[in-house]
Amino acid sequence: MINRRNFLQGTSVLMAHASFAQVVATFLASRAAAETSHQPAFLSADELSRVALLVDLILPETDSPAATAAGTHEFVDLALDACASPKQQATFRSGLEALAASGFDAMSGQERVAWLRRRAASDVTRAYDESFFKILKDYTLTGYFHSEIGATKALAYERIPGGFQGDIALAADQKAWAI
Amino acid sequence: MGDLKMAKANTFDAIVVGSGMSGGWAAKELTERGLQTLVLERGRNLRHIVDYHTALKDPWQLPHHNRPTQQDRAAQPIQSTLYLYDQSTKQHFVNDLEHPYHQALPFNWYRGSHVGGRSLMWARHVFRYSDLDFEANLREGTGIDWPIRYADIAPWYEHVERFIGASGENADLPQLPDQILQPPFDMNAFEKHIRSRFAAKFTDRKLICSATAVLSREHNGRGPCQGRNQCARGCPFSAYFSSNGVTLPAAAATGRLTLQPDSIVHSLIYDDAKGRVSGVRVIHAETKQTTEYFARVVFLCASTLGSTAILMNSRSPRFPDGLGNDSGVLGHYLMDHHNGGGAVGSYSKLLDRYYRGRRSTSMYIPRFRNVANREKDFMRGYGYEVYTSRQNWTRGLETAEFGAAFKDEITRPGKWQLFMEGYGETLPYKDNRVWLDAERRDPWGMPTLNVSMTYRENERRMSEQMMIDAVEMLKAADVEEVAGFNRETIPGSVIHEMGTARMGRDPKTSVLNKYNQVHAVPNVFVTDGSCMVSSPTQNPSLTYMALTARASAYAVEQLGKGKI
Repeated sequence: MINRRNFLQGTSVLMAHASFAQVVATFLASRAAAETSHQPAFLSADELSRVALLVDLILPETDSPAATAAGTHEFVDLALDACASPKQQATFRSGLEALAASGFDAMSGQERVAWLRRRAASDVTRAYDESFFKILKDYTLTGYFHSEIGATKALAYERIPGGFQGDIALAADQKAWAI
Repeated sequence: MGDLKMAKANTFDAIVVGSGMSGGWAAKELTERGLQTLVLERGRNLRHIVDYHTALKDPWQLPHHNRPTQQDRAAQPIQSTLYLYDQSTKQHFVNDLEHPYHQALPFNWYRGSHVGGRSLMWARHVFRYSDLDFEANLREGTGIDWPIRYADIAPWYEHVERFIGASGENADLPQLPDQILQPPFDMNAFEKHIRSRFAAKFTDRKLICSATAVLSREHNGRGPCQGRNQCARGCPFSAYFSSNGVTLPAAAATGRLTLQPDSIVHSLIYDDAKGRVSGVRVIHAETKQTTEYFARVVFLCASTLGSTAILMNSRSPRFPDGLGNDSGVLGHYLMDHHNGGGAVGSYSKLLDRYYRGRRSTSMYIPRFRNVANREKDFMRGYGYEVYTSRQNWTRGLETAEFGAAFKDEITRPGKWQLFMEGYGETLPYKDNRVWLDAERRDPWGMPTLNVSMTYRENERRMSEQMMIDAVEMLKAADVEEVAGFNRETIPGSVIHEMGTARMGRDPKTSVLNKYNQVHAVPNVFVTDGSCMVSSPTQNPSLTYMALTARASAYAVEQLGKGKI
């Protein structure tokens, strides 16, 4: 019978033969990537640092790490570049321009929260494509909760649950499942 | 001499066109009954487990955390609209630009081009049809009568169920016959609540765990399900039924299977003197070279529209309008289910209960409309698929909230939420149809398909009632925030396209006989969804598998008697 345990053992045996070098290469590549700074794809360096502030306003450090600790601002940049439509890109860019024009860089933390709250209130009723806040929040939440830190530290994640238990008691400290 | 040698090397007892849900079954049954069988697959090879490259990837290991890019959508403008489509599954769907078709009216054609076909990405629901379904056309004067009844197919349903392994709950209803099933997956606390409310308030409606080709227990060395609910990536545990993981390996084990990917069937070769098909013409997907293969019997299992297109493209002096098309109905009576009607709701009790793992099936409410009598202003009926869960972080997407308290809130399980949609029968209409377009060719020089299909008054009335009934049932179960919907949907979207080469008793009004055999060409069988005469409420794949197994046994028997 193939079950979770011996399947995983089987995989590691296979990897030892076929892909050990590959696994090491992947690991080294990811470490190298972490050490070099992210090259912005859609955003300018200034815009990326503003987005870093914004994603941490949305998902700050609590009992789990903040959004930037999971690289969420970099995900927002990559998603804007590859996933967003031209219309969504334009909406986001003009949102960032308004942010810069309002003196966001010089604001205190509380002022920034107030700015984002005003922006959220006016944007939340707009259609997604025309809403800076909705696009920002979508990419922030997706980027964070689908990151390893977000999925495993802020939420509960099991790659291979091993089966399905339909009706169990909710433990007091139980986080929601990531997927 | 060279030609003769070539012909011998290219000669088999049987040729099966297509390696998906139906083709895999034809391959298994024909090889196990002793035939040297060539399976031709138009798409690339896709090996079980070995080629499921995304199967065990975490969200952060997938490009863009599993979100499709603009580039993906540009290459797959139709496929990318499917709920299943993301970075982990996109390789299992065709590039729409390379596989063109034409929508005379809007029609979504979702498909793959690889060994296993859609058996790799299907939604795995497996229900039997009953005589309520097989007798419906005759009783109500729509289309033509089915040439079979439940008794004809029941042993073959059992044959298929015993081999594929399915789990779920028998409904104990005549309109949804009992099946060979492993124990069902658990219900969650909310579903148990709904089930008990239904039992208290209705005599004709019940909530059951869907019969699903997903193993809740080990079966023939496969499974059980590990609760990933990432089936469409391919299952490393072989826990759901796919051609790749189940029927094709069984066929290969006989030593009589030759599986050949990258082989696009252009047409069937008709031998006028013998009144039989002698083989098929194949275009290689990469080299575009044409080769002929020969066999005593040919099974078309190339999908509903794929098989019909091949028949249409098989023209000869005897069959100027497509092989087997003496009746003129080839290409007509296209059907799909419609799922525009349903409801959503929530529930803010039972919040001390949760679940673990991801169940890869739905709950089901079997058909209850127009069962004993015609009680509504439409014909036929519908069943519902019901999906429930506790809200997760995505509930934070649409709000204006943010910050520490917001983060704390959305990382906890939210209230229960429910989505249910009806799956309704569509009547057979002659002008819901497909036809070949010789002017517009695909990259292999093949004529492309035009599709024209609409839902009509009967489906619209039914869809309205699907919404009304859904709302009524949820309110009866004390579900909160109940909101019905009745959406316009695009035909094809349920991915149950069927009909266009229907079975029947009379060669004047049908393409196939009761054994899925082309009336006028006895060594050609068509056993995929194109054979369907009506489109009952239930998901159709189990019926395609059963009809294929039945037709295969019949074909071998007839070959043995020298009749084909």
